[in-house]
Order: sequence, then C-alpha cells, then structure tokens
Amino acid sequence: MSTASTRITTVERLREYLYLAMQLEHATIPPYLTALYSLKPGTNSDAYHVIRVVAVEEMLHLTLDANMLNAIGGSPDLTAPSFVPDYPAFLPDGETDFQVSRQRFSREAMQNILEIERPKQTPSEQHRLVRRSAPKAQQLAVVPGEPSMQYYSIGEFYAEIGRGFRYLHKEMGDALFRGDPARQVGKEYFYSGGGELTTVTDLDSAEVAIRLISEQGEGYGGRIYDEHRELAHYYRFEQLLLGRYYLDGDQPGQPTGPALSVDWDAVYPIKQDARLADYPAGSELRDAAVAFNRAYADFLGLLTKAFTGQPELLIEAVTGMFRLRDLMIQLIRNPIPGLDGVNAAPTFEMAAAAVVSS
Amino acid sequence: MTADMTHDVVVVGAGVAGSLIARRLTTEGLRVLVLEAGPATPSTFEGYLQHVQTFYAASGKGAESAWPPAIGAPQPDARDLRSDNGYFVQRGPLKYGSTYTRAQGGSTLHWLGVSLRMLPEDFELRSRYGRGRDWPLRYQALEPWYRQAEREIGVAADVADQTHHGIEFADGYDYPMRRIPPSYSDIVLAAAVDGMSVRLGEDEIRLKVRSYPAARNSIPRDGYRPVGAVDIRPDGLGRDLYLGERCAGNTSCTPICPIQAKYNAGKSLARANPAYLTVLARAVASKLHVDPVSGEVRGVEYQRYEDTSSPRHTVHTAHGRIYVLAAHAVENAKLMLASGLGGASGMLGRNLMDHPSIYGWGLAKAPLGPYRGPLSTSGIDDMRGGAFRARHAAFRVDIGNDGWRPTTGAPDTTVVDAVQTRGLYGADLRRYLESTLARQVRFSLNAEQLPSAANRVTIDPRYLDAMGNPRPVISYDIDDYTLAGMAEATRVYREVFSRAGIEDHTDPEHSTWFPEVPYAGGTMRYHGMGHFAGTHGMGNDPESSVVDVDQRSWEHRNLFLVGAGSFPTMGTSNPTLTMAALALRTADRLIAEMGRSSHRQQPYRREQGRSRDLSSGGYTEDRPPEGLGDRL
Repeated sequence: MSTASTRITTVERLREYLYLAMQLEHATIPPYLTALYSLKPGTNSDAYHVIRVVAVEEMLHLTLDANMLNAIGGSPDLTAPSFVPDYPAFLPDGETDFQVSRQRFSREAMQNILEIERPKQTPSEQHRLVRRSAPKAQQLAVVPGEPSMQYYSIGEFYAEIGRGFRYLHKEMGDALFRGDPARQVGKEYFYSGGGELTTVTDLDSAEVAIRLISEQGEGYGGRIYDEHRELAHYYRFEQLLLGRYYLDGDQPGQPTGPALSVDWDAVYPIKQDARLADYPAGSELRDAAVAFNRAYADFLGLLTKAFTGQPELLIEAVTGMFRLRDLMIQLIRNPIPGLDGVNAAPTFEMAAAAVVSS
Repeated sequence: MTADMTHDVVVVGAGVAGSLIARRLTTEGLRVLVLEAGPATPSTFEGYLQHVQTFYAASGKGAESAWPPAIGAPQPDARDLRSDNGYFVQRGPLKYGSTYTRAQGGSTLHWLGVSLRMLPEDFELRSRYGRGRDWPLRYQALEPWYRQAEREIGVAADVADQTHHGIEFADGYDYPMRRIPPSYSDIVLAAAVDGMSVRLGEDEIRLKVRSYPAARNSIPRDGYRPVGAVDIRPDGLGRDLYLGERCAGNTSCTPICPIQAKYNAGKSLARANPAYLTVLARAVASKLHVDPVSGEVRGVEYQRYEDTSSPRHTVHTAHGRIYVLAAHAVENAKLMLASGLGGASGMLGRNLMDHPSIYGWGLAKAPLGPYRGPLSTSGIDDMRGGAFRARHAAFRVDIGNDGWRPTTGAPDTTVVDAVQTRGLYGADLRRYLESTLARQVRFSLNAEQLPSAANRVTIDPRYLDAMGNPRPVISYDIDDYTLAGMAEATRVYREVFSRAGIEDHTDPEHSTWFPEVPYAGGTMRYHGMGHFAGTHGMGNDPESSVVDVDQRSWEHRNLFLVGAGSFPTMGTSNPTLTMAALALRTADRLIAEMGRSSHRQQPYRREQGRSRDLSSGGYTEDRPPEGLGDRL
C-alpha cells in the first residue's frame, strides 16, 4: 500500500517526521502523568512504578528524537501551537482507530495505553501503512505527504524514519548530519536511565536511537523483552491488567511471574479530559488549573531551550517536574463543585495558558 | 547431622566491607556465604520503603529509627547514652558516644555518605609528627584502591576541589560523578570565609569552604552509570526503577534516603554474582572454631533466628577455606574475644578510636536556606593537616544544611520555643519562624583521636545479650592531645562565625544532651561521629598489631579481619572510603591466592544471563540453603 509520496526522500520530509515523532512521544506524557497522580498515595505501588518508569522513558525518547532532529539541522520547538494535543486526540502518527485520553488510572485507561504501545504487527515494508478507516475528529497530524494514510503502530512510524535515514545517507553521505553537535543532549543531562541516552552524529548513532525507542516501546523481534532484558512498555502495562508479572521467556498474554496487586478503587475520581471550562470562573480550581498550564508551558519552553543549544537546562527542567507534580496533585485531590464526586484534573491547554499569560 | 556445604569464603557481616568483598569474590567465581547478624534488608524497593513507614511510626526519631534491631542482634542507640542502659557496657571514664547498625547493609543504611580520602600524612603520623603510629602502607600504595572504591560506591566530587594537603590523584583521573552542587549556604559562607586565615600555633592556615566527596548520585562522567534504587524481586530478577540515579534533594540522607540516591551496601550485594552468593541474614556468628595446632579457623558457629522479637534460635556451623570478619570494629573484636582468640600480643580490642566532635551553632544575618538538599555538602578541610599535629589533634569542619536539627532538635523545638516561651501565634509566629529557621547555621567539628591501648573493647561473662552472646564492654577516654585539638576547633569556629557575621548561639546546656568532658578548668560537650576504628589494627609487627597489611590475622592465617578496626590511626576523614579501599585490596589478594590454589567450584545455583549490572542480583535467602549447617 506504500506509495512514493509516503517515503522519506528529502531532508525536509525527515525533519517533519522527526518533529512529528517528538509530538508523538510527548502526547503520551499528559495521559501517563494524569493516570500516575490519580493513584491514591500509599496504594498501588506496582502500578505507580510501572507508569512512572514508562513516563521517564517517554521523556528519554523525546530527547532522542530531539537529538536526531538536531543532527540533521532541524530545530525542535515544543512551544509551537498544537504541539500539545487537544485531548481526546488521535496519535500524531496517524493511527485513527483509537483516541488517547487523559483519565484516571483504570482498566479503560490501561486499555487505552495498550493501544498506544501496541506492538507492530506488519513486519513487511509494504504493509506498515494502512488506509485510514476512522473518521477524522481531532486531527493532529497526518502522514506527511499522504493525509489519507496512517501507520498501524508507533513502531511502523519509526521504521519509516529509520528507512529515511538510510536512504538519505546513501544519497548524501555524511552531509546529512549537518546539525550543530553542541545541540546534542548527552546522557549526563538526563535524570535517569542516562546510560541509554545517545547523542546522534551519524547514521550508526541514529539507528541506535531508533532501535532503542522501538524496542523499549514494543519489544524486539516479537519477543516481550528487548535485547537488554527489559520488558517492553506494552507488556509492562498488560501486567497490570493481567495481575501478574512477566518473566523472561513468557509468551505474550501469558505471564507466569509473581502475582501483582492492583487496587482499581484506590484512585481519585477525576474528570476525564478535563478542560478549564469545567471549572467555574474565579474559583480556586480554575486558578490552580491555570497555574498548572502556565507551569507546563514554562516546562515546554525550558525543554525547547535545552534542545536548542543549552542542554544543561534539561537538569532544571526535570527538577521543575516536582513543581508540576505538586500542582497536578492540588487539582486531582479536590472535587469540582456541583459535580457529585468528580475531582478536578490538569487540563494541559497550552493555548489557554498563552492567552492568560499574555 | 547433615553434611556441611563448604564455601570458598565465609564472610561475617553484610555491611560495606563485607558486601564489597562478596561482590568482588563472586564476580571471580568464588562461592561466598555472607552471615548477617541483623535482620534482612529487603532487596525489593517496596520492602525498602517499609522502613520509611517504620521511621514514621517510631516514637523517637534518631538516625537508627528506620532500622530497628532484632532481639538476637542488639545494637547501640544514641538514646541509651544518657541513661547508660543500652547494649554497650560503658566502663568510662568517658562515654563512647557513637552507634552502629546491625542489619543487612550495616550503618551505610543511614550514613551521610561523606567519602574523603585520608591525607598522605595521615599514614605517616609517627614519622612526620612523632605521634600515634605509622601505617604499614603509604597513601600512594593504597591510591589505586581508593579509585576503585570511589567507583564501587559511586562518589561524586571534582578532583579540582580535592587536591590539598598533598592528596594526589592518578593522572587524568576524576571521580565517577561530578560534585554535588554546593548549597546556597555553602556559597554564602564561602564568600565570607574563603581566604581568611587562622593561627594554629606556628602555623597560619588559610581557610576555604570546600565541597566534599559524597557517595551520592550526581551527573556521571565518562560512561559511568549511577546505581539507583535496587529492586530485586523473588524471581531473582532486578527491575529498573529509574529512581535514585541522581540525588533529588529529599533532605533525608539520615535516617533513610527514600530513593536510594545515596550508596548503601545493599547496592553492592545486588551487583554481586548471585550464582555464587548466599546471604544469610538473622545469623549471628557466635564463635570461631580454631585448629589448636595450625591456628587455622575450621568453622564459624552461628545462631539462626526466625523471629526478630524473640531470642529463640538454632545453632549451625558454616565452613569455608577462608574466613573474613567484616562485622564492625566492635563486633569483630567481640567475636574474637568470645572465641577465646584474644591473641598473644594482647592488642585485640585495644586502640578503639572515634572522632569526638563538637557542635557550634548560630544565626546568620540573612536567610541561608537550610533544611533543603543533602544534609551537608561542604566543609572546611584546612585544619586536617600541618605541623601543629605534633602538639594537638587535627580536625575537620562539617557545614550542615539542616539548621540546628542535630543540636537542638529544630525545627520542632524552634516552634515549641516560639509558642510556649515567646507566646507567639498567627502572623507573628509565622514571621518569627520564617526569619529564625532560615538563618540557622550549624558546624560540626570533628577531631582526630590517637590510638591508646587503654581505650578498648572487652567482654565480661556477667554482661550477655538475650541469646547469650557477650555485650561489648567499653573503656574510653579522650586524651589531652585530642582535647587540645577540640579546644582549638572551638576557637576557630568562633573566629569563622565572627568573620561571617554569624551570631553564636551555641549553648550545650540548652540543647540535645551530649556527654561532657572536663578540660582546662571548664567542660566541653562532645558527641560521637559513628567512626569506630582500631580494635584490630594493622601493622608490620605481630607484637604490636593484630593483622598484617592485607588485614590477615597474624595468628590465624586463613582469617581476615576487615573494616575500620584495621586502622592504626584514623586521621580526620570519615572512615568508610578508606575501609572500602582496604576491603577491595584484601579481595584482590584473596582472588590472587585462591585463584591459584583452587579448582573452580560449582555455583550455588544456575547462572542467569546478565546484560546489565542491575538486571539480576543476590536475592536474600530466607532460609539456609539445603544442606547448609548442622541443625541441633
């Protein structure tokens, strides 16, 4: 089904893909953080660690994408309008058979995340694209050059990026990597899992970055563990639904490890995909939600600086996540007046943040 | 009786020295049994976090509160010092003010992480200054193992800050991680203090506020990956939590780092080769069996208990080719004495040392932001060495980031004082607290203590613990050399306070209780630093030392006594890094020796493929391995 127009054959197109990849990685973070902080303190530690670790790895993927984009002379801008999706949203790689929501930790939320992290199932180059079947709703981004097509999974999307790197390198040689090496974010700046953050300066390092992202997300060669014996994200979340840990060697869907306990009720009942408009004007909740959105906009601004020549700012940005957490918790632990038993949640509305702060 | 399983090496004690040795030996395929007297420390992160709850629930909030001891393995507690009703039998004339923890991980479970090297001159105190004694090895000889220790326990520092008093580093070397950023109060104090000079007798000494090396995760250098929180599940596999790979400033280094950003010995055990490691907690080594002819150790008798709140136990014996006592300076001595192995030289248990320490506290003119970040990040090291050491003790200044907490129990007591004594409430109360707490400064001045034969650990059949093992009987005094150093330290901190515009509020009469010592017509209040050393000092002469330079017992050639107990003198550095370096050096000696003589043993269990350091690790056994020990 693949057509010439979906193939990456120019540097410009590769940059579009990589920027879209950053949007994609980032798009998972608001839902993951919302589910994470909806857990009641002192409960659900297994779920807490699973979600937290994956969120950290999504930040790692975001940084790797920035390194790839910088390597070929692009310039990441996380403050651009529509960088943050308007939830519920389709994933920016064009998958349209499900939407991503910001919601409390629940079986539905985990199902939703499994769809995000689903393993690629079409190993053949010919079939990584499928024709869109779902109607367009919150259309965020489409396959560059072919709006009617979508990738089946994030893995397919990255596979095309890898193919594009190889194709262009064959065409252009090392001139492809014309970016300023000073913009590369090294592992020293990443809070955790720093051993895996690689700078991208040539084809080999680009392929290392892509492989890491794909395998961490979905497993490797049909196995549930990657080559570093790390369980892929999809299966880590699946463990929560299945109530049991995977062991290496297990078949997908059939974990044989120790039982894992999830208390689906020890969760704050927050409003799904909450918006500022859900909070009465002038209320404390409204102010708190606005304060969070501003802080989140600041965070994205800091990341943009970190990805455009000041990598040391990544340290500050990560420290700032403590503040984001506190602001999120303020919302999540308080009920919305007039809605019986429904709590507030951060809204991640960046356009509103920009309007309010201007 | 079942046949005993034989190990290559039996290690007594799962603290820093024992764990480092176990990791290194198992990595080389030697089968190591580690006997830990205290309770197991969970290798799951969830289990570790239970200790945070234990701390919350404790009525007294001391450094040890998160780590309650077992009945079968009692330990000293700071709260027992005043009542004189604890584990130690204090014979005086002074009270020995320090404590330690008997649990898997040892006192590293709640240490601050200060990882200073000793000064080159510390190894040569006798030749240079006519005091104390010389070590049987020099700084340069130990330097390669200092480097290894800094990597093993993960030390954050910049070499550029640490080259003083002749400390040399190998060419091109820097610490595995960059230094922990100095706190705001460090920066403000440095601006006031750097360059000022103080006199110590003939010596004029220029002061500098210096960041110190800390076993606390920071920005890594050159491909080093910080070791964060350990989470090894019952399946033996480690989960990577991406937690604790950087210090996040929880300001809770003691009693417990909630993200394990700070080193504890459990990290080394977790990175040992699990196929060759057996850790047996709740196993109190009670007696060494020695061949009366050869003097070689033939077995370690140990008492195994299931219930930490009961003295009920069973008795077993573990056998190895080599035995390593890594139980702590006091516990090593106690076990030897309890086994009737006091030795011909009479040196065993003697020369017990500490860093007797004085607090100075005051209020700065402007807020310094205490109660944030690691509990301490800088110090003043300039009085650690110099010609004055011929006359009085050297000392080191620790600058706290935790206000008056250790001295007065602030911030809680500051609130009580404001409400009850000053009658403040409402906005006035808030203003007062914001102003006062934010300006609190605290120095800790730690003096060197020299070896003295009269300061010693003994045992006495009248004083036994619940399982019938002897309690340590401690004789302790602080001599004039050290007292003179403490007096000079007091004078110096006052000069520094004055220079920095800090109003001195030091008032030991209205503070946390500390033992006192008379000096020059007055009294000084001192506290222990938890820096036990001596008791089985190393030397070149069997007449005046207990172990040789490899920490091998002179009288029992398959027995090693490791840890700070082997220090002939201790200088002014916190002892952990030096004991770690010595432990790694001893491990290398053992590998060289046993590698030659042994045919490789089978591992205890199947080796699991490991691609990453933390992908698997030694899961603590809850029961002795099959066939281990003869149950009675």
